[in-house]
Amino acid sequence: MSGLSHFLILASDGMKANRLFWLLIAGFALFPIFTHFADLPFWNDVAMRIMLLGMAAMGLNLVLGYGGMVSFGHAAFIGIGAYCVGIGEFYGLTNGWAHILLGIIVCGLMGLVIGYLALRTSGIYFIMITLAFAQMLFFLFVSLEQFGGDDGMSIDRAEFGFIDLYNPLRLYFLIWVILALVGLGLMFIVHSRFGVTLRAIKSNESRIEAMGLEPLQFKITGYVVSAVICGLAGVLFANWQEYVSPDIMHWTRSGELMIIIILGGLGTLAGPLLGAIVFLLLEESLPIMLGTVAPAYAENWMIIFGPLLIMVVMFGRGGLVGLLAAQRQSKNNPKRDKAGQ
Amino acid sequence: MTQPVLNLQKLNKSFGALKATSDLSMTVMPGEIHALIGPNGAGKTTLIQQIYGALKPDSGQVSLNGSEITKLSVPDRVKAGIGRSFQISNVLMDFTVMENGIIAEQARLGQSFGFLQPAFSDAVLIEGAKTILQRVGLEKRAEQRVGDLAHGERRMLELALALAASPSLLLLDEPMAGAGPEDSQRMAEIIEGLRGKVAILLIEHDMDAVFRLADRLTVMVEGAVIAAGTVAEISANEAVKLAYLGGEE
Repeated sequence: MSGLSHFLILASDGMKANRLFWLLIAGFALFPIFTHFADLPFWNDVAMRIMLLGMAAMGLNLVLGYGGMVSFGHAAFIGIGAYCVGIGEFYGLTNGWAHILLGIIVCGLMGLVIGYLALRTSGIYFIMITLAFAQMLFFLFVSLEQFGGDDGMSIDRAEFGFIDLYNPLRLYFLIWVILALVGLGLMFIVHSRFGVTLRAIKSNESRIEAMGLEPLQFKITGYVVSAVICGLAGVLFANWQEYVSPDIMHWTRSGELMIIIILGGLGTLAGPLLGAIVFLLLEESLPIMLGTVAPAYAENWMIIFGPLLIMVVMFGRGGLVGLLAAQRQSKNNPKRDKAGQ
Repeated sequence: MTQPVLNLQKLNKSFGALKATSDLSMTVMPGEIHALIGPNGAGKTTLIQQIYGALKPDSGQVSLNGSEITKLSVPDRVKAGIGRSFQISNVLMDFTVMENGIIAEQARLGQSFGFLQPAFSDAVLIEGAKTILQRVGLEKRAEQRVGDLAHGERRMLELALALAASPSLLLLDEPMAGAGPEDSQRMAEIIEGLRGKVAILLIEHDMDAVFRLADRLTVMVEGAVIAAGTVAEISANEAVKLAYLGGEE
């Protein structure tokens, strides 16, 4: 009984604090209707990519935003998840649920090992060690000629029982359901006693020690959960892309995930998803816009994106989610907008 | 004879050529307020760090309530019964006063690893947190963000967090440092109220407060104990006058 009431209190805590996230999830559910009537099926593909990168960024955000651990190697877990599909199929394992299970187990174990070793350091050393592990894994897969090496391997979309992934809408909604479940899980974790302790460790690790808790245990647990979420995103990424190569775990993708989180809002549930939406929409549209003005520079859309990112970081410390919240607050409370933050 | 809460035996700690703790032995008895005094650089904080577990002694023994804790980590020593406030306020700045209390309460209950248990909305935790805050009179400031608190209130909150798990030994490192006269007075009253309930090892530079509060004093100079005893004994001690108090006359 008390278990159920606990659960309900926790759910209501999470729902109250994360309306924007569930609004975005609802938006993704309705988006295919829009693309159908507007006859823009290509945009379903963009939306899937947004959801996949958003999911991975949400995973990273658990350690980066809530736990204050700047991991610069999370693309490795996306890669491991994706290779669980590729290598699984190579050995005749074609069931998608089995790929998901495999991805969770392998990424969980890798997260445990890397977390256990890397979390003994902090600050710049932690950033470098996580990057070093990711680079090691990157070059490991480059050297595995059997699995395509540098060129990667093509993948048949996995069998998910009654869900035929070659139907683009079914793939879309498989990604959507898992994204929503990951969001639900993270929402519970963040508002739970564990999540609150993790956030407190970010705020002041030595006070948590002084309360008789071992911060490392909480950090490693958070690290493993975040690795598993990135692995899940990787499994789906491989199915969406029908192809996997070491490129998926290139260190620039780890940076991309960090940019997405900082752009959207560190330590918020909606932030990484909102960040992924804005980041990928700009990535799609800036080259086109730049191309009409100055065709020679269309490739260099980062010239525009860079300053935009700097402005968001400088003027909205909580990223886009922070900007939205500040605006709503000043609308409700016009006189107090300066006192707010 | 009653067993001491804290028993230090022949502790030694060096940093290179500097001997920060030198063959140091002392005891803190149950319920007493024991002040540790000495000039700057005497090694008081280094000693507290070794009792707390943040530094390991090169040799010697630290015992708490009769069992040796020399090799235990900080969290394990806290679980064994040590509470601590730091020289610089050590609280959870990004949270409210109430949230600080709740995080301490769930740690006290050993329930910090709950994935499906609510934290800030849990009625049991809120009740427990209120009890923690009431001890220092902060319950009225519960909704305040700690970052917005005045310095003195932060010191109170830190004391409340240190007391949360009902420790048998409380280490207070300059609890009145940087506080105004009113805050110091308030802090002294709270420490006074703890006499007999918890053994306190107090480092403090405010000598008036020390002489008013302490049941016993230990005087340290250059890592070693030069005198120990009651306030009257220490005031009469020639060696102490010479080495330490003399400078103030």
